[in-house]
Amino acid sequence: MKILYSQLKQLVPGLKATPKQIGEKFTMAGLMLDESRRVKFNDKNDWLLSFEVRQNRADCLSVLGLAREAAGYYGLVCKLPLNKLAIPAKKGSGVKVEALKHVKRALAFEITGVKNKKSSAWLKEFLALYDINSVNLLVDLSNYIMILTGYPSHLLDKDKMKGKLCWAVNQDFKEFITLDKTKVRLPGKEIILKDDKTILGLAGIVGGKAAEIDLNSQNIIVEMAIYDRVSIRKDSRSLKIVTEASLRLEKDLSPEGLDLAMNLLISLILKETGGKIETRPFSFYPVKQPSLKIKLDSRLISVFAGVDISQNKAVSILKDLRFRVSKSGQSLEVAPPLDRMDIGIYEDVIEEVIRVFGFEKIPSNQAPAFAVAKQMTSTTIRFSEKARDILAIIGFDEILSWPLTKKEINSETNYLNWDNVSTQNSVNEEFPDLRQSIAPSLLFQFKEYKKRNIGKIKLFEIGRVFGKKGSNYLEQESLGILIESGKAILELKKAVEILLLSLGFNEISYLPSIIKPKIANPFSCWDIQVRGETIGIIYKIHKSLSFAEINISKTSNLAKGFTLNPVVELIHKLVILDANVELNDSKDVGPFLKNLQKEIGRNLWSLELIDTFSLKDKTRYTIKASYVGLSDKEAKKMHSKVFNL
Amino acid sequence: MLETDLKLIKNESEKDMAAVKTTADLDNIFNKYLGSQGQIKQLFKEMKDLPEDKRKEIGVNINGLQKKIIDLIDSKKKELLTGHLAKTMEAEAETLSFDLPKIGHLHPITQTIRMLNKVFIEMGYSIVDGPEIETNEYNFTRLNVPADHPAMDMQDTIYIKEPNLLLRTQTSSVESRIMAGNKPPMKFVCPGRVYRNEKVNKSNHFVFHHYQGAAILEKVSLKDLFGTLDLLFKRMYGSKVIVRYRNKYYPEVEPGVGADMQCFNCKGRGRSDPDGSSDPMGCPLCKGVGWIEMGGAGIIHPNVMKMAGIDSKKFMGFAFGLGLDRWVMAKYNITDIRTLLGGNLAYKYYENENSF
Repeated sequence: MKILYSQLKQLVPGLKATPKQIGEKFTMAGLMLDESRRVKFNDKNDWLLSFEVRQNRADCLSVLGLAREAAGYYGLVCKLPLNKLAIPAKKGSGVKVEALKHVKRALAFEITGVKNKKSSAWLKEFLALYDINSVNLLVDLSNYIMILTGYPSHLLDKDKMKGKLCWAVNQDFKEFITLDKTKVRLPGKEIILKDDKTILGLAGIVGGKAAEIDLNSQNIIVEMAIYDRVSIRKDSRSLKIVTEASLRLEKDLSPEGLDLAMNLLISLILKETGGKIETRPFSFYPVKQPSLKIKLDSRLISVFAGVDISQNKAVSILKDLRFRVSKSGQSLEVAPPLDRMDIGIYEDVIEEVIRVFGFEKIPSNQAPAFAVAKQMTSTTIRFSEKARDILAIIGFDEILSWPLTKKEINSETNYLNWDNVSTQNSVNEEFPDLRQSIAPSLLFQFKEYKKRNIGKIKLFEIGRVFGKKGSNYLEQESLGILIESGKAILELKKAVEILLLSLGFNEISYLPSIIKPKIANPFSCWDIQVRGETIGIIYKIHKSLSFAEINISKTSNLAKGFTLNPVVELIHKLVILDANVELNDSKDVGPFLKNLQKEIGRNLWSLELIDTFSLKDKTRYTIKASYVGLSDKEAKKMHSKVFNL
Repeated sequence: MLETDLKLIKNESEKDMAAVKTTADLDNIFNKYLGSQGQIKQLFKEMKDLPEDKRKEIGVNINGLQKKIIDLIDSKKKELLTGHLAKTMEAEAETLSFDLPKIGHLHPITQTIRMLNKVFIEMGYSIVDGPEIETNEYNFTRLNVPADHPAMDMQDTIYIKEPNLLLRTQTSSVESRIMAGNKPPMKFVCPGRVYRNEKVNKSNHFVFHHYQGAAILEKVSLKDLFGTLDLLFKRMYGSKVIVRYRNKYYPEVEPGVGADMQCFNCKGRGRSDPDGSSDPMGCPLCKGVGWIEMGGAGIIHPNVMKMAGIDSKKFMGFAFGLGLDRWVMAKYNITDIRTLLGGNLAYKYYENENSF
């Protein structure tokens, strides 16, 4: 919202701060200065200050709102330009409200005998500062008051209307033509202005051609209303029409402010275009805005700030901001001004005091010494961090990618028993689905690197993959690893094993995959298991490209705690003995070795498979067992026992 | 005669020593002269039959010869071993190849998160995360975002094909889960990925990264919050960094705070040079403002506390949130936000960031 420096000084007599100082004060107090530039207005040098107005301060989307803020900050008073209007006793008949749930307050004046004309130069110049084009004097005055007070209004040519002006919920009209001749299709249930035959406007958003004010307009209706802001927002978004009016009316504007705004507008219309008010204005105000009273222990202000702010100071600030304050010991009872719809609880009041007191007065160079709190860092996070370090050390580069893909890609790379998850409104219609594997991301990166002649490709990513089982949405933290190399699958297997061993898993095994991704070589595709639980998959994609994926969420939960087991004090030298074992071809050597490990227990240093030899229906395995903590004799005894020699 | 034998043994031992080629030869010489059946031992035996005065003289000579043979054997052994070692070493020698191993790298976002985590871990904070598919309740409602808030529009949020499920738009959703599932005192940070319905271009992406955190204790204040953030900014940017804290509105906090860092390009002037000739539109980094918005913070709103089941009369909290991607881009000289999520982000094979 913009304001001329000259207008600010006019509304806040005694204001001495420079534009720069005002900009700084507003910025620190919650309305950030966007821009300040020199302008010429009414042949005089001036400054136009533009502020970013926060979402909950609809009152500041006006010159008056900003002037009140300035007055509050500097302990001055904002001079409001009030006029007295002569209101006749005769009741008007031209207006009604049917949309009872959507209209909080409505005011309408009928003025007869106006003489519309082109606006004077200063008004055109003023409106241009706010990027509003001049139309004619009546319309321009309506826009001027909107800028000045924050309250939009709508003027209708009564002579073009057929019947009563009515606020209604649209049931009948399929189409509407706006003032700038745009045709809008209406799905139904919008809040509209209509007469007995025609739709006259989209309430709170934009007026229509049907009762447009032109230079010949003589008898007019001036309406201002406050709506249920959710309805205005909904209509504005669904019809894709955003106007200065809708931007204000979709926020929380005080219904009480309508009186001042309408007073100013009617006064100006009568002054500038002539005309008479012949009937009482229409007023619809079923539920009056309550006046709030908020209780607050003034000591809390210092608690929130962390510095001492005396009760007297707090009261002074609140009074400057037009709050009514009464004291009783440490307790304050405050009533916020009615236009401050953002004040509802004592925390809001505390914020008011501290922001005007000045955030810059609160020291920031003292880091707090807080109480010790429970350690909540999850195993998955610790696990992921360690995995990153291990992979980086062994030469893998981390990438991050976006998780949207398409169903077809998911069906190529998925290896889990779950269904696809789609978004309703993906940023890219080509990729509406959430990835089920990290593979597509790493493959994409691989292709990009090849295009750019990057070699030695070893990549990993830790990120979420998503799926659905029945009505349950699932996601897991997943580690994907990709390598390009002449011996890709073996190098990848080594990397996976270094990773798992370093993370405390030494019972690693591989089984042919149950679900094979379509991009995998089906003859080179295994599920990775630790302690008999499947935690991931490893497969060859083509001659020199292999991929592995590990479910970090699951694996981290399988991790055992810190162990002292790997540390050994050597009393004897290692005793290294070989044995040959013959197993039927149907039997996997993995479980056999696992059993050996169990049997030998703490005295096992290592088991290595050093040779395999195919026999008829059997395979002979040569196994080297290294024993620790045993003498030669003891080791030989154990060796004979476990290998049945 | 013993003296003659001594002379003969001496000459022979010298000849034998000269012919030694291996350590096995030396072993043979040892056995021949110094072994239990060796010639020197024989001389000592024969010496017994001599008169005492002769025994003494011969004994000295025999001992002298024994010592000489021992010394010769020792020095020859050393010579042989050194020579053998040198030959072996030459045979086993390898040359160095000029091939450096490729080292791996962590993503700039990971590295930045780690730097931030380090600061908070030192202050006793935990690192937490939560689901990326979130409900309206945890992403909005429990953060005091009203049902009609603009952020909930389809234009702003990516929804799953299911009512009330969305991709989280902020990691404050994790904050609302942690607050609901634990009792104070709590101190945690929740770095993570978030999603907004944004058109993807050079400066915007629909996937980006937040770093949020909260501390819920018996008493906290804005001074504590500012002190915490100051510490963070100083650790990230050096002790001379200038930060300001101003009032700013966020639904989940009250009072709300915006944290700005003085633009390090124009030093707060809003222009890179004093007369503005090189950038008439203002400093390109801060767009002429003189300050760079770093994030938001504030004292946790009582509604948020209430929905988490925490009594705001007994406990207070502060929360803060920083957008990470622009930090990372500024730090690593990345000009296009899309680079952070794949495609043209690459790492030099042999250089490391030296972050230890």
